[in-house]
Amino acid sequence: MITVNKLFKAYGTKTILSNVSVGFPARKLSSLIGPNGAGKTTLLMMIARLLEPSYGDIFIEGSNISSVSISDYAQRVATLRQSPGFNLRLSVEELVAFGRFPYSKGLLTPEDYRVIDEAISFLSLQSLRESYLDELSGGQRQMAFLAMTIAQQTDCLLLDEPLNNLDIKHAVHIMRALRRLCDEQGRTVILVVHDINFAANYSDHIVAMKNGSVYRAGSVKDVVTEQRLSELYGLNFDITHNKRGCLCNYFNSSGELE
Amino acid sequence: MSSFTAGVSRHAIWVLVLVLALAFLLVRSDFDFDYVIPKRMARLTAMFIGGVCIAWSSIIFQTITGNRILTPAMMGYEAVYLLFQSLLVLFMGTQSLVVLGPNSNFFLAVLMMLGYSWIIHRWLLRNGRNNVYVMLLLGLVLTIVIGTFTQFIQLKVSPGEFSILLGFSQASFGRAEPWQLLTSAILVVLVCLAGYKTLPTLDVMSLGRDQAISLGVDYQYSVRRYLALVAVLVAVSTSLLGPTAFMGVFVANMTYTLAKTFKHQMTLSIGCAIAVGMFILAQFTVEHIFNYRTTVGILINLVCGAWFLVLMLRTRGAV
Repeated sequence: MITVNKLFKAYGTKTILSNVSVGFPARKLSSLIGPNGAGKTTLLMMIARLLEPSYGDIFIEGSNISSVSISDYAQRVATLRQSPGFNLRLSVEELVAFGRFPYSKGLLTPEDYRVIDEAISFLSLQSLRESYLDELSGGQRQMAFLAMTIAQQTDCLLLDEPLNNLDIKHAVHIMRALRRLCDEQGRTVILVVHDINFAANYSDHIVAMKNGSVYRAGSVKDVVTEQRLSELYGLNFDITHNKRGCLCNYFNSSGELE
Repeated sequence: MSSFTAGVSRHAIWVLVLVLALAFLLVRSDFDFDYVIPKRMARLTAMFIGGVCIAWSSIIFQTITGNRILTPAMMGYEAVYLLFQSLLVLFMGTQSLVVLGPNSNFFLAVLMMLGYSWIIHRWLLRNGRNNVYVMLLLGLVLTIVIGTFTQFIQLKVSPGEFSILLGFSQASFGRAEPWQLLTSAILVVLVCLAGYKTLPTLDVMSLGRDQAISLGVDYQYSVRRYLALVAVLVAVSTSLLGPTAFMGVFVANMTYTLAKTFKHQMTLSIGCAIAVGMFILAQFTVEHIFNYRTTVGILINLVCGAWFLVLMLRTRGAV
């Protein structure tokens, strides 16, 4: 369980987040949704400790995260930022091995190798094991990074737009993997996602943000309604349900855009 | 399999360096153990110390900044060194050589550069700020400003004094006294041992700030620590040999191509071998082929540059 209490973030006079208090339930998949500039990523980065809040506290299982050392925190929370870029020539296996750093500090034990194998086979990446990252497609790369995050064996995973630039098949693949992490391994997953349909069909919990504050937080049924989404995005929504899930249609929004 | 071949090449390159070192010591020495060989031994030690300093400082610096065309020299260290030497000559003239003596000059230069790096790190990393690019910009601008100022001073001094300055502005292995060699060696060994323990952290830092923090690295602390380490190494090598300018860029990039791994345990070792090998080769050529009619600096830039270009072309930009 991660709880955020009265969180503020400002750069100079520009306020990014104001008075955000919200909880992310344990062993559930929570999606942060909302328009660009709503502060979703900022909130996620503060939970990841990549940004310092201007004011306010974040708690993990009741303890303030600023009282946990960075190296201990890496054994509890793993973060994947969008499209991490670096100029290293790494194979998939070497990248995933980095996920063991919080435990092994660079000297891999047989246990570490077992976890690396597990993470790679969890995402069915065995065939790409020896491939170099710069030879992979965007979707495969994203899977490799996710495997590293999984190998970190943390209770909580934070992902910043993991579906960015992916084709629909890789997007479904990633979301299914995240769903399985929750259901099979009891991990807590928090992600920022722009595709409202993925959020609606794969999440347990949704936090909708607008203009730096929480617009609405709750179950999918509670948040994903035509009226709430219309208010959130300023678009007309048409939500249909069938046995494969729900579909939010906003493509041919009637009326003028704001 | 890949680690096996890489392991072989690491040892092979060190064997090559040792062969070069032996050749440097013995060729045309007439086995004169009283004068020629001890003198060459001193130069060789200077090359080893300088090579280690340059390889470590450049590779670590490039990892921290996530950039492959920068060396710590661009942070203004060499400019500060030259400014110090220029000021000495301006105010004390040729007397400065006598008044200070080589040892005090060496230690003062080391202290000056450490002081300089302490000030810029302190100022730029204050209150948890960490913008390496601002630091680089400042270093570059300072290099230009100090460099111009140094040129101005050089115009003010007499031709004799100018030739002294010229000597300081070119890398040379013969300048170092045994005392300086010993102190430098101890300093470098201590610093490298301290750095060696945390090399896996450096590997993680090459993934970038966010990923490193997410993997449990205290990034702020580690950056400071490694910048301090780089500062000591650059200060030692510059005071010992003089400015080496772009050699670090060549050494680091050739290392990445040859090592075929990102692990610093490997790249630092190969980097040291390349740097030392380059030095020996250049000095050997200067002594035996060019008869001191050219300088090590010129040769190194020429040879390194050519080799680097060949590597670039042969690996088609995969450097």
